[in-house]
Amino acid sequence: MGHGAAGVVLAGGRSSRMGTPKAALEWHGSTLLRRTLGVLARSVDGPLVVVRAPDQPLPEVPLRVDVVADPEEGLGPLQGIAAGLAALADRAHAAFVCSTDLPFLHPAFVRRVLATLTDDLDVVLPVARGHPQPLAAAYRVTLAPLVAELVAAGERRPASLFRHHRCRTLRLDDAALLADPELASADPALDSVVNVNSPEDYRAARCHPAPTVTVQRYGALAGDGHLGPRTVRAATLSGAAAAVGLALDRHVIAALNGDQISRDGALPLTSGDTIAFIAADAGG
Amino acid sequence: MSPVVGSARPPGGYAGKALIVDVTASGAATVLPLEETVLRAYLGGAGLGAWLLHRLAPPRVEACSARAPLAFVFSPLVGTPLTTSAKFAVVAKSPLTGMLNDALASSQFAISGKLTGHDAIVITGRAPTPSVLLVDGPTPRLVPAGDTWGRPAAVAEEALRRRLGRGWRIAAIGPAGERGVRYATISHAGRHAGRGGLGAVLGAKNIKAVAVRATTKIGPADPDGVLAAARDLRARSFGPATAKYRELGTLANLLAFNAISTLPTRNFTGAAFADAPKLAAEELPELSSATRGGCASCSIGCEHIYRRRDGRGARVEYENVFALGPMCGVSDPDDVLAASARCDELGLDTISAGGTIAWAMECAQRGLLDAPWLRFGDGAALLRALEEIVSGDGLGALLAQGSRRAAAIVGGGSEEFAPHVKGMELPGYEPRTLQGMALGLAVNARGADHNRSGAYEADLSGAYDRLAGGDTQVAAAVATEDRAAVMDSMILCKFLRGVFDEPYQEWAELLRVVTGWDVDAAELRATARRIVLAKRMFNLREGWTPAEDWLPARLLREPVRLRSGREASLTPARLREMIDGYYAIRGLDREGRPDGPALADLLVSA
Repeated sequence: MGHGAAGVVLAGGRSSRMGTPKAALEWHGSTLLRRTLGVLARSVDGPLVVVRAPDQPLPEVPLRVDVVADPEEGLGPLQGIAAGLAALADRAHAAFVCSTDLPFLHPAFVRRVLATLTDDLDVVLPVARGHPQPLAAAYRVTLAPLVAELVAAGERRPASLFRHHRCRTLRLDDAALLADPELASADPALDSVVNVNSPEDYRAARCHPAPTVTVQRYGALAGDGHLGPRTVRAATLSGAAAAVGLALDRHVIAALNGDQISRDGALPLTSGDTIAFIAADAGG
Repeated sequence: MSPVVGSARPPGGYAGKALIVDVTASGAATVLPLEETVLRAYLGGAGLGAWLLHRLAPPRVEACSARAPLAFVFSPLVGTPLTTSAKFAVVAKSPLTGMLNDALASSQFAISGKLTGHDAIVITGRAPTPSVLLVDGPTPRLVPAGDTWGRPAAVAEEALRRRLGRGWRIAAIGPAGERGVRYATISHAGRHAGRGGLGAVLGAKNIKAVAVRATTKIGPADPDGVLAAARDLRARSFGPATAKYRELGTLANLLAFNAISTLPTRNFTGAAFADAPKLAAEELPELSSATRGGCASCSIGCEHIYRRRDGRGARVEYENVFALGPMCGVSDPDDVLAASARCDELGLDTISAGGTIAWAMECAQRGLLDAPWLRFGDGAALLRALEEIVSGDGLGALLAQGSRRAAAIVGGGSEEFAPHVKGMELPGYEPRTLQGMALGLAVNARGADHNRSGAYEADLSGAYDRLAGGDTQVAAAVATEDRAAVMDSMILCKFLRGVFDEPYQEWAELLRVVTGWDVDAAELRATARRIVLAKRMFNLREGWTPAEDWLPARLLREPVRLRSGREASLTPARLREMIDGYYAIRGLDREGRPDGPALADLLVSA
């Protein structure tokens, strides 16, 4: 987990090819925005920010998310990056900035990119699956004024930032990214950067099997006598619970990878996760 | 002290009086009338016990001196058909902590004790020879303990039942209580008033056992209302909120806590135990031969008796297994079950015994104790240490003092890893990965205890990050401490807590039908705060200092790592901030002391 790192989701694109706002697209009973935010929340220890277009409605988002608006619509992703970084001043040293339409984003990818942002760098730019990924990249928060200058000068594309002499950018190709064993294990095809721009993309993504996760029920929750871990496919916590015959009611809690405790059914799961279902009435 | 009861009719569920027995004078007794204002303010159990200690304990009295009172306190609900209500509190100054201590046990002793016609039986003095106190009305008496002295509590209990005849219910101490082990228990029917060493207080009075027999009736104000409430509560007690206790017992915590790194291991050097599955209820090969039981008036039936290799049974609870297993690094289930059974026989609190031995194991491995045989993971060493604690041989005299006093004697930095708060050894809830609970353990009046502060419930709720301290954790620690104060005073078993949707409102309804009072949720919330404050005030009177609201240095210096790779650390600054927040909510000053107006509400003289 990046120390003092934030997560920024750019949700303000026009979604013109999709024909409907991508942030609100359904994703395993939740929304794409909810999933992306949930993955970032699992990956960073700083604040979360959503950047939207002026007056753009957003689907319900979890608490403790700051929502900021672009000052003007249609200024492109560079403006979104500027708004997101500006919202983080003094609250984080760096941010993983991504678009809302990355349904397979994995926390290991976020951690890998953020961990590479050393003190002598301003941007870590993955060049994954053959393309630069400015909306799945790490940015130093102190870049905010420079990005704002570029936007004011009429720049729209992040590439203008990466070639600026005041921005120290490191590009990470597939091999460099996958040198991290955690990422190589969790997302060997780098599906983290797969985005959905059209209805066809979306349908194809929805046909993708849900992540493979390991589930274990403890104590009285293993009521059918089935002890030990089970492997199931589930994209959310509620999906994992349902796969083993549980409902996430007030008597059940879940621990994700032995760490976060949650009852949030929309909590996104990613491949390799381990979920422990525990009776909520813990105690002696 | 008045020798007779006042003329006013007591409220439903109460006798309106406490029996004060001086065992020095062959059981000479007086009666302390309990005014309705006091009963309503403190309810019974732990609450009323706190008031009685304020009233009857001489300031700064030594816990095991003849002048120190020890009270068996009943409650308005006991004797009704309300499920889990057959409980009693034992309240005295603790020889382990030097603070107020209440320990709860249950079953028929509670019912018969109240039906002696008293809301509390308070014992003072010291019998000239080992004795048994008999109470079946206003004229208690002493009989010789005879050959029950030196025997396990359960053996003594059985022998006394045969000797005294039908109808007598007995709470007894084991050899540990007789010999002054500072964490000796008092037990009845296999249930222990376990924490804080009250068995040593009774032993210091030369009282092996207290036997009670019902000789009167105490009815509720609204019998039909009580029956209806009892039917409703019983039905709800079969639901999912109590499934864990019914099906596996509290040992179900073990694997779950291990999975989330809240299982203290090897004297808090780790928070997960690789061999936990060997000790788990789900995995124990002995599970198939386990038998299940319950207390009187209980529909949950949480007690699980496991069969050992030698065919004998062992009562198994999570805390027993945690303290005698992972805490000491012991993974052989038969060793752990044998140690648990031996603690029961000797009359030792398993948590304090395990915590103290784990500390000693670490001392031995660091060369601070000359005991090469005492090593983490060695089940035989664990069993030997238990024997020495009670016999006084070898390390026993040292370890019988508990980890705080033993560490003060051994020194060499061992104070920093002595696993206690206020002298009471920590239960099996890792404070660094349950930081609301960390606060609850630090500030609770009884010391490190999971039954008086249940902030772990909030830590495990998912409502916040359990690895971070903050205002939410402070609020949770206060709320769970308050709820425990009411449940321990009414008294209802905490295993029932999950069935209440609106606890204060529902508890008020139960009290209304039993007592006839027009009590409501707001009044009960005030009652909770009063009881918590009364306990703190007693401790202040006895020399408590702010430094005692704190955690062992190890927990504030050494992080533990979760399976996710995240590091859990609790800094002194964070704990200080939470304690300050707790004091603020409680209306205490920065030194943890209450102000004048709050004291007036306590109905005790300052």
